[in-house]
Amino acid sequence: MNAMNTKMITSKSRLLVLLVLALLLTATAHAAAPGITGPSFNLTAQASSISQPDGAAVYSWGYGCNGAPAGFAPAAITNTFCNSMQVPGPTLIVTEGQAVTVTLTNNLPAAAGNTSILFPGFNVTATGGVPGLMTQEAVPGGTVTYTFTASSPGTRAYYSGTQGDLQVEMGLYGAIVVLPSSVPANCTGGLHAANLAAEQHWGEADFRLAPAAYDHASTCYDREYLFQFAEMDPKIHAAALAQVTAAGNCTAGAPGCSLNVPTEPYQPAYFLINGRSMPDNMDPNYALEYPHQPYNGNPHMHPGELTLIRVIGTGRWQHPFHEHGNHVRILARDGNLILSQTDPTKLGGRLEFTTDTTPGQAFDGIYYWSGKGLNWDPYGHHPGSNDPSATLPCTPDANGYNTGAPTAINFWEWCQDHNKPVQVAPFGDVASGGPATLPDPNIFANGPWYGGSPYLGPDATLRATGCMSSSALQTNAPNCGASGSTPPSGTIANSPSSEAGFAFMWHSHNEREITTNNIFPGGMLMMMLVDSREFVINESN
Amino acid sequence: MKKLFRVGLPLLLFCLAPLVVSAQSFRVQCPTSTITHPDLNKTGNSSEPAYTGPTTLSPGTNGFLTPTANVNGAIKCQQIGGGDGMSTMGDGTQIYMFSFGPLSGLADIADGLAGTEFPNVFNTVYPGTFVPGDPATTLGAGAGGAGTAQNPVPIAFPYNGAVGLAPDVDAIANGNCVAPCLDGHVDPRAIIDVGVMNGNIPAPLLAMDEDDEVFFTLTNVGMIMRPDLFEQHTVHFHGYPNASSFYDGVPDASVAINIGGSFTYYYLAPDAGTYFWHCHITPPEHLQMGMVGQLYVRPRQDRVPTGGDLYTYLGYQQNDLRTKCDSNADILCSNPLPAVNTGVTNPAAVYNAATSGTNGPRPGYGYNDGDGSTYYDVEYPIQIHGFDPSFHFVGMTFNPEQFNDMKDKYFLLNGRSYPDTVTPGPLATQATDGKMHFSQPLPSIISIPAGGRALLRISDLDVTEYQTLASLGIPMTVIGFNAKLLRDQAGNNLYYTTNSITLGGGESLDVILDTCTDPDRASHPTTCTAPLATGTYYLYTPNLDHLSNDAENFGGLMTEVHIN
Repeated sequence: MNAMNTKMITSKSRLLVLLVLALLLTATAHAAAPGITGPSFNLTAQASSISQPDGAAVYSWGYGCNGAPAGFAPAAITNTFCNSMQVPGPTLIVTEGQAVTVTLTNNLPAAAGNTSILFPGFNVTATGGVPGLMTQEAVPGGTVTYTFTASSPGTRAYYSGTQGDLQVEMGLYGAIVVLPSSVPANCTGGLHAANLAAEQHWGEADFRLAPAAYDHASTCYDREYLFQFAEMDPKIHAAALAQVTAAGNCTAGAPGCSLNVPTEPYQPAYFLINGRSMPDNMDPNYALEYPHQPYNGNPHMHPGELTLIRVIGTGRWQHPFHEHGNHVRILARDGNLILSQTDPTKLGGRLEFTTDTTPGQAFDGIYYWSGKGLNWDPYGHHPGSNDPSATLPCTPDANGYNTGAPTAINFWEWCQDHNKPVQVAPFGDVASGGPATLPDPNIFANGPWYGGSPYLGPDATLRATGCMSSSALQTNAPNCGASGSTPPSGTIANSPSSEAGFAFMWHSHNEREITTNNIFPGGMLMMMLVDSREFVINESN
Repeated sequence: MKKLFRVGLPLLLFCLAPLVVSAQSFRVQCPTSTITHPDLNKTGNSSEPAYTGPTTLSPGTNGFLTPTANVNGAIKCQQIGGGDGMSTMGDGTQIYMFSFGPLSGLADIADGLAGTEFPNVFNTVYPGTFVPGDPATTLGAGAGGAGTAQNPVPIAFPYNGAVGLAPDVDAIANGNCVAPCLDGHVDPRAIIDVGVMNGNIPAPLLAMDEDDEVFFTLTNVGMIMRPDLFEQHTVHFHGYPNASSFYDGVPDASVAINIGGSFTYYYLAPDAGTYFWHCHITPPEHLQMGMVGQLYVRPRQDRVPTGGDLYTYLGYQQNDLRTKCDSNADILCSNPLPAVNTGVTNPAAVYNAATSGTNGPRPGYGYNDGDGSTYYDVEYPIQIHGFDPSFHFVGMTFNPEQFNDMKDKYFLLNGRSYPDTVTPGPLATQATDGKMHFSQPLPSIISIPAGGRALLRISDLDVTEYQTLASLGIPMTVIGFNAKLLRDQAGNNLYYTTNSITLGGGESLDVILDTCTDPDRASHPTTCTAPLATGTYYLYTPNLDHLSNDAENFGGLMTEVHIN
């Protein structure tokens, strides 16, 4: 057996374990933008280990809660915790205009020396501690306090201002989200109210931190996620651990009680979304197996929902991040809303299908998926079917979408393609007569996130695969699974009978970053699912 | 996870489905009539009609809207092979690739054009017999004929149809089809003869017009140098708005075609712009190894009749909910009516019913701008890429691949590094089958008529780092980014002038090189009184370490711009 075979077998068995884990967990795991509320925060900087999907426990430093925080948000998420060390640090959620106080205690090993926090974008007053190069710092065992006014809404980074090339690499970074003090009226009416009504109809909670990202009528949103990207070179972490261990319980400031960890050459092996690598990032928020990486990256959304993505680049590399499925409208960078120069009621930010993140820089963007322009009906509606869900009407609003019926499973369907088939041949109980012929299912391989058919949602998928859910007779393909359609086997992460979402890979397009320590898949990659309305998106876990 | 399924799933499917339907799984698709293009004029949807307003849609008997008049767009088809091949770097090194090669539009691609064809071209049978390496072999490449670096000549290959297309004799015999019965049935011999070891870098160019239906067939011919890998391949149409995951080409989220099969991807051409495409199987591997290509969509504005007022015609697009851009209703559209009506009309050179929608060069617009500001006289797709020769060497053999160590040493514009970038005609490489193949058909010399404007459709599919491309002497005006016009929601153009652009992998933008210095240039984009001096200018990377070909401290990411 040569080296390659050995490698493949180990990586496969490892992946199998991951897969089983993923199977156990992904069914209910969704994201949101969870964090802690203030406006006073009592943080600590401490050492611990974070876990990676190759089994590594990587020695890291992180910010955590020094005692229980004032609260957690969004309220719909339960099972929250804020340990004394986490990567990224706790997401600080405040409201525009609040006076924010962050007290930091330095509980890092004494050899690590001083530490601090920078809050770029705010006018910070630092008290206590000792003067450092960029701000007041907390000595080992000591504290420092930062106060500032949350002067304007938006998403921004915070990170260590002390020996950043080492301390940020070790994990001392986090996000601060400022919510607008007033919400534009249109954000709680019209289609946003209809989306909320649809959520309530299906028993979904509202996981937003607010209905708008800014004090601006063009920044309403229906769902939101926060992603912090970083990369990690395990050699640096191993060297830090070795030196900290060698220094023992030394006295801060004593000779030899310091670190000299080389941070170059830099060869990262882990590429993180919210401190986790794929597939760990698609496990739940606050999953108990990640006590020091509470935040996940597992976005889901329904058609038509305006989804706010809050993204921060941390670490030292740029990452071109590709959002499959549609473009992103850049609303703001570092909390600065980008508006038209001639009409401040209009947006001026770019539309991007690959969003750049740069170290320390944040952006807020709006994404949605609607299926408009596919030229075929993704719900597989079939006027001749005996299934009432297959014969739902599509009544276009002024923009062409079926938004008048928030309780319908085809709420937000793009009506111009309603009932229009894609396939030449009959495909289960989905109409035929379309333009394209699918390949023989025996000559292709299914992916784990393939929903089992080209169609969106369990109703359409079960009809397409000859397994109509209602007791009504199928008009075509009488026997379940014998329709000559795609066998939905292997679609373990996106059940054809209960979810059948459209899965889109959101990933770094510096493609080598979608690996974990040289193993593909991994790293800076997550699957975003567009779920039909039948599927209840539950971000509480 | 995909690696696991690559082995496990086919096995599982094999066990579950012993009733294998047919032995031959290669096929192509290119209908001449569909719901969207019912061929009311009986032309086989093989020309682009002028755009005079939205297609008239009426409720049909089947419950969906059908076009009844004024049908816009046409049908386009293309076949590509997924497999492997060899290419030649600027220092003469031949490098192994996983790659796509052309299996239709062979002549157009060898001429540096797109291989996307109308049905009346695609659905034709090759009159001769293909031999391995075609069309390079038939043209005598490497023996003083076409396609050598030393002796480029215009390509005189007669065939742009679908390789392998053949009458479906079984269907004819069964009485199900009338001869010649070109229903997509193919003779696999021709596909294997042409498709094996025929990879291109970049992959075959796709070009389409808004309102087109596109049938893009990927035929997996296998990688003959890596028989141990049962690699599937896919097509990811990068940037397709509101994509279906089924046709998005991500194997984890859809299906992927095995060796010996064909998968036809079906698209309605999306909004105009510069996109690109690539395989999405194990991306750090397949993209580095070369499975990357270019793709762009020409705007409806290219089909405005001569003399048509561009603002008025963009207004017509507001009458179809699919093509309109109302910034108040859609946060993801980028071409609302311009804030200023310039009154610019379409010059005669742009729309011509006989040539519009074909692959030949012609003037046009980058986007539906409504003000003529994205007009170009000539357009050039330019793709930035990088090859790590160590990774490619490992990729040819049987060793584990180290993604973290990946370090590009060849820096490519359209698959070529300087000085090959300025060689006209296709570059040929002798592959391991002993035949010459057109490995890098797309030159990257930019030729602009003095006073004219060139649209550079620049994309980057480097998988390791950001790359910068600078212009020496001619200002760059960036008009589009990621296949969207740079315009704010109030209709103000956000174009900017620069001397360099920087892209990461998976990004694209549109640059206009304007060789006219008239101060009032915006008011007359098609004429010029003060052109720049004729001569040679340069596009090059200021990442100076990328001006190299592996060990040679010379070459890399650089090409010439000729003002004639």
